[in-house]
Amino acid sequence: MTTTSESTDTALDTPTTLKPPKRNRTRSPRRRQLIATLSVLAALLVAWQYLPQMLETPSYVVPVLSDVLAALFDPAALPRYLDAAAATMTEVGLGLAIGVSLGLVLAVTLSQLPTLYGIVFPYIVAIESIPKVAIAPLFVIWFGFGLASKVVVVVLLAFFPVLVNTIHGLRSVDRDLVDLFRVNGATPMQIRMRLLVPAALPQIFSGLELAVAAAMIGAIVAEFVGAQRGLGVLILQAQGRMETPAVFALLIILSSLGIALNVLVRLLRRLVVTWEQH
Amino acid sequence: MELDRLDKVYQTRTGDVVALDGITLAIAEGEFVAVVGPSGCGKTTLLKILANLEQHTGGTGILGGKELGGNRSGDVGMVFQKATLLPWLDILANVLLPVTLKRRPTARDRAAALGLLEMVGLDDFAHKRPHELSGGMQQRAAICRALVHEPSLLLMDEPFGALDAMTRDQLNVEVNRIWRETHKTAVLITHSIPEAVFLAERVIVMSPRPGRIVEEITIPFGKERTLELMGTPEFAALSAQIRRHFEVMAA
Repeated sequence: MTTTSESTDTALDTPTTLKPPKRNRTRSPRRRQLIATLSVLAALLVAWQYLPQMLETPSYVVPVLSDVLAALFDPAALPRYLDAAAATMTEVGLGLAIGVSLGLVLAVTLSQLPTLYGIVFPYIVAIESIPKVAIAPLFVIWFGFGLASKVVVVVLLAFFPVLVNTIHGLRSVDRDLVDLFRVNGATPMQIRMRLLVPAALPQIFSGLELAVAAAMIGAIVAEFVGAQRGLGVLILQAQGRMETPAVFALLIILSSLGIALNVLVRLLRRLVVTWEQH
Repeated sequence: MELDRLDKVYQTRTGDVVALDGITLAIAEGEFVAVVGPSGCGKTTLLKILANLEQHTGGTGILGGKELGGNRSGDVGMVFQKATLLPWLDILANVLLPVTLKRRPTARDRAAALGLLEMVGLDDFAHKRPHELSGGMQQRAAICRALVHEPSLLLMDEPFGALDAMTRDQLNVEVNRIWRETHKTAVLITHSIPEAVFLAERVIVMSPRPGRIVEEITIPFGKERTLELMGTPEFAALSAQIRRHFEVMAA
C-alpha cells in the first residue's frame, strides 16, 4: 500500500538507489487547479459580454466586454496609453527604488542599534497606521504637479512594508547562528552581511511584494490628486467624458502592469531565495 | 585547558544570580570530558565561557595557552543542539564557513573539508543544500564544520538532543570515532547520562544554583567505544552512580 506513494523525501540517511519516476496518468492537482481557474475566467468574460445586454444596463454604467476591448485596442488611443503607462511606471519604478533602498538601509541600521530602535519604533508604528495616501495632496503643494510629488508618495508607501518586514526578518534570526559566527570570530560586518541579511531575504521579499502593490496604489492616487501625465490622469479624463469603456480599458492596463510587477518580484524571489520550500 | 575557581554571576533586577561557583577543572590535551547536570546547573554557561561567547566574572582560565576572555577566536569548534547550517550555502561551503570568515579558502582547506565529509560518509552530499539532508546528516556536517579549522578544542552543546534515539546512538559511535581519529580535546555538554558515560573519559557532574562541580568520575573503558558497551554491568553501575546525584538534587 505504501509502494505506490512517491516519497519526495530525499533526506534519507542511507541514500537509496533512484527509482525511475512514475508518470502520473491523472492530471496533477496543480494542473487541475489551473484549468479550473481559467474556466472561471472564461465564464466571467462570457458573462461580461452578455449579462449587461440581458439586463439592459447602459454602456456608460457597465460596458460589454467587446466595447472595452475596442477601447483597449483603439489605435488612436494607443500613443496616449503608452505615454501614460510610461509616466506611471516611471513614478512606480523610481519610488520603489528609493523607498526599498531606504527601507533596507534603515532596517539594517536600526536592527544594529537597539537604543535607537527603541526610540524610533513607536513612530514607525504610528506612521504605519496612518492612511498615507491622505498626505498626497500635501505633497502636491510641496513638490508640484510633476514627477517629484508622485515619486514621494510612492516612496512613502513602498518604504514601510520593506522596513517592517526586513526588521522582523533580521530580528528573527536564530541566536545559535549568531553564536556560531561569533565563536568563529566573525566581525559585526560579517554577521550583518553574511548572516542577518541573507537569513532575512524571505521576509525582505515579502516586504517587496507588499511594496510593489502599495507603489501602484500610491502612483495612481497621487495622479488623481494632481498630475499632467499618467494612467490615473487618463482614468479621470475618461470618467469626465463618461467614456466608461476607456475607464475599464485603463483599469485592465493598470492591473496587467501590477500583476507583471508582482510576477517579476516572485520570480526574483525564486531565483534569489533558492533554499525556500515551495 | 585549566580553569581555576571560575565564577559567573549574572546581575539581574532581583539581585545577583550565581550561575557558576568556583569551577576548577583541568582537561588534558586530547581528553574527552562530558559535563552532565540538570537544567539550570550552568553547564551551558560554562560552555559559552569556553567558547568566548560570555565572560566569566571571577577566577582564571587558560585555554590552549591563552587566557580566557582574550581574543582567541577560531580556537574552538562548536556544535550546537541544532545543526545551524546556513540554508543558502551548500554542505561544503557550510563546512568551510569558519575558514571563510577569516580568509579565502584555499584548495587545501577544500580538501580538508572534503576529507572530513568523507569521514562521516557525506562526501557525496558536498554540493547538496542542507534541506536536502536528514537531521542526522545535517548534524554530521555541523561536526565537520566544527573541525575544519583545526581548533584546539571541540565543544558540543547537547549536539544530538534534537535527534531520534537510533540516530543519536549511531552518531555517538561516530563522534567516538572522529575523536579518536582527530585527537581533539572535546567537551560535551549533555543531560543524557548514558551519552556522557558512553563518550567521555571523564564525566563531570554539576549541581544547580549555584553551578558547582559535585563529582568527577573517570570512565575506564578505553578510547574505542561500541554500542555493546551500553549493555554491560559496568556501564550500568557508572550510570547509576551519576544518576544518584540527580536524585539527591531532585529531593
